[in-house]
Amino acid sequence: MEEAERYVRTWVASPRDKEIEDTISGVASGQFKLVHVVKALGEYLTSEEGDLRNKGVEFLALVVSKCPPQNFNLQSIKVLIAFFASKLEDTETIIPALKGLLAVVRIPVLIPENITDICTAIFENVKMQALVQVQRHTVFSIFDTLVASHRDVLKGMGDRFLSGYIALADGEKDPRNLMVAFAIARVLALEFDISTKFEDLFNITFCYFPISFRAPTNDPYGITAEDLKSALRSCLSASPLFGNLAIPLFLDKINAGSPATKRDTLQTLAHCLPVYGSNIAANSARKLWSSLKLEIFQPTDIETEGEALKTTQVLIKTIYADEVTDADLDGLAKDACAECIQILKEPEKSQAKPAIKVLCAFMSTTPSVSRYTLSHAVPHLTRLFVDPDELPNRGPVLSLLSSLITAARDSTVKADNAEEIFLLPFKDEVLGVLVTGLKAQSSLRPAIEGLNGMVTTPALLDDQEIGFVVQKVNDVVSSQQEDLLGTRDAALDLLKTISSKTPSHIAQMTLPLLFSALPDQAPGRDDAEGREKYRMGLSALSHLCAQPNLFETLVVRLSVRLGLIYAPATVPEDTEPSAAYAHALLSTLADVLARKVENGDVDVPKYVDRLVPRLFNLFVHGALGTTGNSGMADPRIIDVVARLLNLVTQSLSAQRQETFAEALFAAYLKGNVTPLAVGDLSLPEDACFMPFDPAAPGSQANLVSLFSECVIAFYPEVKIPMSDEGTLLVELLNWGIRHAKTSGQRECASHIVAAIVNKHSAGLDTFLKSTFTTFWDEEIANPPDRYARRRAISAWAWISRALLVRNHPEALPFVNRLFELFDDTEVGWDAARAIGQAGTVDKVLTKRNHAIIKVLHAQKYASSILPKIIQGMNDSTQQSRQTTYLVALAALIKVIPRAAYAHELPTLMPLLLRGLSLPDPALRAGVINTLLSAAQVDLEAGSRTAKEGSVVSEHAASLTNAMLQNSAVSEMPDMRVRIGALKYLAMLPKIVRYDVLHPQKAMVLRELTKALDDPKRAVRKEAVDARTSWFTYSG
Amino acid sequence: MTSEVFNANPTIVATAAPTARRRAAHSLWLSDDEDSDIYDSDDEPEPIDADEIFDLIRSISDPEHRSMTLEQLAVVSAPQITVAPSRILIEFTPTVPHCGMSTLIGLSIRVRLLRALPTRFKVDIRVKPGSHQSEHAVNKQLNDKERVAAALENPSLVEVLETCLQGAGRRGL
Repeated sequence: MEEAERYVRTWVASPRDKEIEDTISGVASGQFKLVHVVKALGEYLTSEEGDLRNKGVEFLALVVSKCPPQNFNLQSIKVLIAFFASKLEDTETIIPALKGLLAVVRIPVLIPENITDICTAIFENVKMQALVQVQRHTVFSIFDTLVASHRDVLKGMGDRFLSGYIALADGEKDPRNLMVAFAIARVLALEFDISTKFEDLFNITFCYFPISFRAPTNDPYGITAEDLKSALRSCLSASPLFGNLAIPLFLDKINAGSPATKRDTLQTLAHCLPVYGSNIAANSARKLWSSLKLEIFQPTDIETEGEALKTTQVLIKTIYADEVTDADLDGLAKDACAECIQILKEPEKSQAKPAIKVLCAFMSTTPSVSRYTLSHAVPHLTRLFVDPDELPNRGPVLSLLSSLITAARDSTVKADNAEEIFLLPFKDEVLGVLVTGLKAQSSLRPAIEGLNGMVTTPALLDDQEIGFVVQKVNDVVSSQQEDLLGTRDAALDLLKTISSKTPSHIAQMTLPLLFSALPDQAPGRDDAEGREKYRMGLSALSHLCAQPNLFETLVVRLSVRLGLIYAPATVPEDTEPSAAYAHALLSTLADVLARKVENGDVDVPKYVDRLVPRLFNLFVHGALGTTGNSGMADPRIIDVVARLLNLVTQSLSAQRQETFAEALFAAYLKGNVTPLAVGDLSLPEDACFMPFDPAAPGSQANLVSLFSECVIAFYPEVKIPMSDEGTLLVELLNWGIRHAKTSGQRECASHIVAAIVNKHSAGLDTFLKSTFTTFWDEEIANPPDRYARRRAISAWAWISRALLVRNHPEALPFVNRLFELFDDTEVGWDAARAIGQAGTVDKVLTKRNHAIIKVLHAQKYASSILPKIIQGMNDSTQQSRQTTYLVALAALIKVIPRAAYAHELPTLMPLLLRGLSLPDPALRAGVINTLLSAAQVDLEAGSRTAKEGSVVSEHAASLTNAMLQNSAVSEMPDMRVRIGALKYLAMLPKIVRYDVLHPQKAMVLRELTKALDDPKRAVRKEAVDARTSWFTYSG
Repeated sequence: MTSEVFNANPTIVATAAPTARRRAAHSLWLSDDEDSDIYDSDDEPEPIDADEIFDLIRSISDPEHRSMTLEQLAVVSAPQITVAPSRILIEFTPTVPHCGMSTLIGLSIRVRLLRALPTRFKVDIRVKPGSHQSEHAVNKQLNDKERVAAALENPSLVEVLETCLQGAGRRGL
């Protein structure tokens, strides 16, 4: 007792948590009772001074809120309620008293009488308008707790509770309180008997609709407009009683609101209608429809239109929810349907589109409506189609019909018997109309779309009918007419869709047709038509033949033709057309194969036996002998074959690669080519196939790329079948630098070296060491032949890259050696470029090729090299050395990820600006691309409106001038640079504040007229966009 | 602006695919890389032709139906454009003969081309003969430098023009 008094005194003098806790532990340990605490408070509770009374009640409220529930009994609860209730009358103590009540209602053991007491007290004494937000929040929290845990008692209070609460909640404005109030109102509407009070409840909820709240920036409470909207929405949709009152209000908002309000209202309506029920929906159907119609037929924007369509769907669903019979449909659906069909009498007009959208929306409502819609719309459209007066409008008619077919296919309606296909009764006439549509250019495209819809509708067409469709579409694919509207591709897509379901029709009907377009021998040089024909056939085949069994046919047929071209009955005088034909055939195979690899098809590996030996046979034979079509040695053909081999090798398992490697190395390095190149042609007995021999003829050396493209795709665990890998690499490097005859051959050697270094670096320590010292000294640092040095530097960059992507510790030492060459006038720039090359994403060291690639290697590279370059630029006083560093920067910056240099941009900007005047166009283009990607980020961050502006702003004027320089054809012959510069100019107004560039505007517009007259079309296009961007640039 | 509706339900035509320049059929070889086409290193100049000009104006939106382009309403089309070395003639077809928006449409074409074509061209813009009841007046207005300049001094008119031109950069896509 004394302790209690002491705590109270101390606390009133200086409020701290300690006394509260001590009091609670006193009560909990039984030292004193709550009654004692009240008694101890006595003088404060009755004090004349308002402040003291306030503190007294506050103390008690705090104690109650923190006291464990077992310390209360019925008696003490009753006392506390009575006490706090009496304090509600006193304006000085109402605030702590409410807190006290909140603490009391959270005690689990309240009896109904307590609840009614609390409610009555609050209803009688609390004036919400007099309280601030936090206190009102306390009141709402009290009711929230009561509604949550004592709902039945409140229900028992009936209208007394409802009217009391409604009076309290009326006029609330704060979003935090409203979140609670909406939750309470939803429960009231859902569970309480509101039959007499629903109008009042309606008034205190619907007055908030639509929510126009916009959360302030940095709002600590984190309540968004969306939260409020969805809370209110669930409130409005809580009771069907609201329906009759709500719908006029909604209509009002749809007709008069802003687009955002319209959308909100439409969404809310879609939410509420199912709750309000079919009666209310049917009664207001006409009014709703006329408003919705307006939004669909004269849409303010696409989203609102979409919402209106969805709401229409909900409306129809609600009205016809209970309808099970198929007897004549009455009411809105019928009228709306008739209305739309009326509009569809002019299918070519713009209003037809929204009309068909409505009908399509009907397809996903109820079975009876779907059936009704189709049974009226489809016959109408097919009648229009056959009407001779409507001949010019066949295209639009089919376009409408195909929308309807697609909607029927995608219909979400589950009919009574799940099998029902709504379109089935009209299948024959629709199919007939669509097939007729295929015959005219103008209706071709929608006809294909419609057929696509039919083919993709499950279980609609039977096998025979699909065969019929294929037959008709074949005519389109094989027609010789110029393909203006891209219909051939659409037709092929349709066939492709069919081939994924029933490939047999395609195999039996389409493929023979397409193969027949491929002649045995290439059309002559002047026969452009014949060339166009086989190209069309091939592009169609490449579209269709990804299916395993179709692809097999393709491989067989095309290899037969390759054989015929290679060994023709009579060798044509002009071999180039046939070489181009072979190239086209092989490209087709490679393209399809690439797609199959992309899709992860499992039938790719088998072509290592079916296709690879034949290809080697053909080309090795060509390289060895003098017979056959010499045009086949064209490097473009070899490239495609190499690509094919690469794709097949990638897909092999490690074991299969191992045996393949044996054969490959035996053929290329040990002179035993026969086992690899099995095929129709027999290789000469005494043949000597040694492509890596310095004395080998060019025709053999060219085939190195076939070897390299296979080797680079080996798994790391595949053993290289040579006695010593290190020696092999040294030989390859040597061959590449000294004996390779073309740059392509040199690259191949580097690719093999890079791939092997990357995958087998563990066993290559000696090789790496000797390369780092001996190779550098002998091949790069000292030799007199500058071309050999360049080649060696490029190989060096490849080795560095191979180490770099796997985060090998030797990678950076390798790259850093390149800086030693920066003073070298002969190869300084090559070294600088090699730094970029080492960071460039390449096609050799890829995941597909099973290279070992570590994450973040590029970031690591950038963060170690970039500072070095920046430092080098700032340190060196020598002009030439600075330029070399600039070259290195330009080469590096375009290949490293943006994040790696973003923080350096302020330092880099002036350097990059200097890079815009480098003599090498490729480097300039790289710098411009870097600036563009930086600008893109600025654009997304909205830097034009940001207060601090972007890094670009500071240099905007100089950037503008530099880009203008680079955009004129008289100054810059390379069109890539011109295009980049113009793109950047178009970007500037979007990222820089107007006042910064305002002085330049007139000059830029004038200067850009030059670029408008550029000789190249692609440049002119960018110039137009850039100029438009500047024309609309204003403050 | 008048609120009168001249054609509430205009006919829509299917739009052609964006003008794709066909690979010259005489080339023997298929190019491997589609992208490399535009960066052809050859310096053969590509003169401005009707298709290019059509690309410039096809996606201008109709002043009366903002969601539709002039192409969709068949107001402009590639065959209605003729290019001579220093002259360009563009004909356009209003959707209805009493269309009060014709001048505005013509003006938006005029402004687009003023901005997008080199100054060496003289551009004539005409209503297709017989497609408009006050054909002569519209033509006169559109090809009179002074009148065009005067129209562009009117801020509210310029605002309407800018909204029509907003989508012009889509070029049929």
